[in-house]
Amino acid sequence: MTLYLKKFGDKLVSRPAGREAFLAIKSYFIKDLKKNTEIEIDFEGVKVLTPSWADEVITKLAEKFKNIKLINTNNVTVQATLKTLKKYSGLNVN
Amino acid sequence: MIADIKKLAYQWVTAEEKNVNVANDYYCQTRDVFETKNNKMFDVLIKQGVNENIVYLIYAIIGELGNNSFDHNLGDWPNIMGIFFGYYYNINKKSGLVIIADRGLGVLTTLKKAMPSLKNDQEALQIAFTKKISSRILENRGNGLKFVKQNIKDAKLHLEFQSGKARAVINCKMNINSLDNLIQGCLAILTF
Repeated sequence: MTLYLKKFGDKLVSRPAGREAFLAIKSYFIKDLKKNTEIEIDFEGVKVLTPSWADEVITKLAEKFKNIKLINTNNVTVQATLKTLKKYSGLNVN
Repeated sequence: MIADIKKLAYQWVTAEEKNVNVANDYYCQTRDVFETKNNKMFDVLIKQGVNENIVYLIYAIIGELGNNSFDHNLGDWPNIMGIFFGYYYNINKKSGLVIIADRGLGVLTTLKKAMPSLKNDQEALQIAFTKKISSRILENRGNGLKFVKQNIKDAKLHLEFQSGKARAVINCKMNINSLDNLIQGCLAILTF
C-alpha cells in the first residue's frame, strides 16, 4: 500500500492537521491491513514537513506497522524532520 | 522597516492588555489566520527570489514556533489570545527577518508543568532547546524546538528567542543569557 503525502497538502506543519490526517488514514487506508503489510510512504511533492505533523502520522504508522518504507525523501525539510524523529521520537525506519 | 516591525512586536508583546492593538495586520487571533499569513510569506519570499530550500526551512521553523504558541496556551491564555506575526525582506541586501510573539504563559511556566524543579527562565530555555520535553505530559511530543535549533545551525540562519528574562541566541551555537526586560510570553526573531 502506498500513501501519497502530497494528497494531504504540500505543506504539512501542525499537529492538529497531522492528527486529522492520521484519523483519515486509519479510516480510509489502513483499517483492514495486517501489522506486517508493507506501507510505502511517498513524500514526492511535499514542500514543507515538520516534526509536529510527521509525529502524528509517520511515527504513529511506524508504531502500527513493522514494514514501513519511505520514498522520495529528498526535500530539505523532509530530511530534517526524519532526522529529528529518529533522534527524539525513536522512529526506526529507512 | 526592520526596526519598525521589531518595535511593533515588542510593543505588542509588552503592552498592558487594554493597550494591545488587536486590529493590526500582524495579529493572528487563531491558528488558521497564522497559517494563512505563513502561506502568504512563503509565496512572497519565493517571488522575491529567496533560495527555495531556505524558504522551505523558514516556513517549517516559523510553523513550529507559531504553532507552539497556540499548542501550549490553548485554553489558558493569560489575556490576549493569539500571536503577532510579521516579516520583512530586503531584496537589495538579500536579507530578511520574521517575528513571532505571544502574550502567553512563557516557557518557564509551561515547562514547569512537566518539570516542577525548573528554577528560572534560563534553565527553562536550555531544556526547551535541548531535551525532549513537553508540558502536554499525556502526549508524546516535544521535539519542535530541537528541530528549530538544528536547522538554524545547518542553514546558517540566526534566531533570538526571549521568554521571561532570558534569551537564547542561536546560530552555529547557542548562548543563553539573562536580560533586565521581561517578556511574559515569547518573542522570536529569525533573521536570514
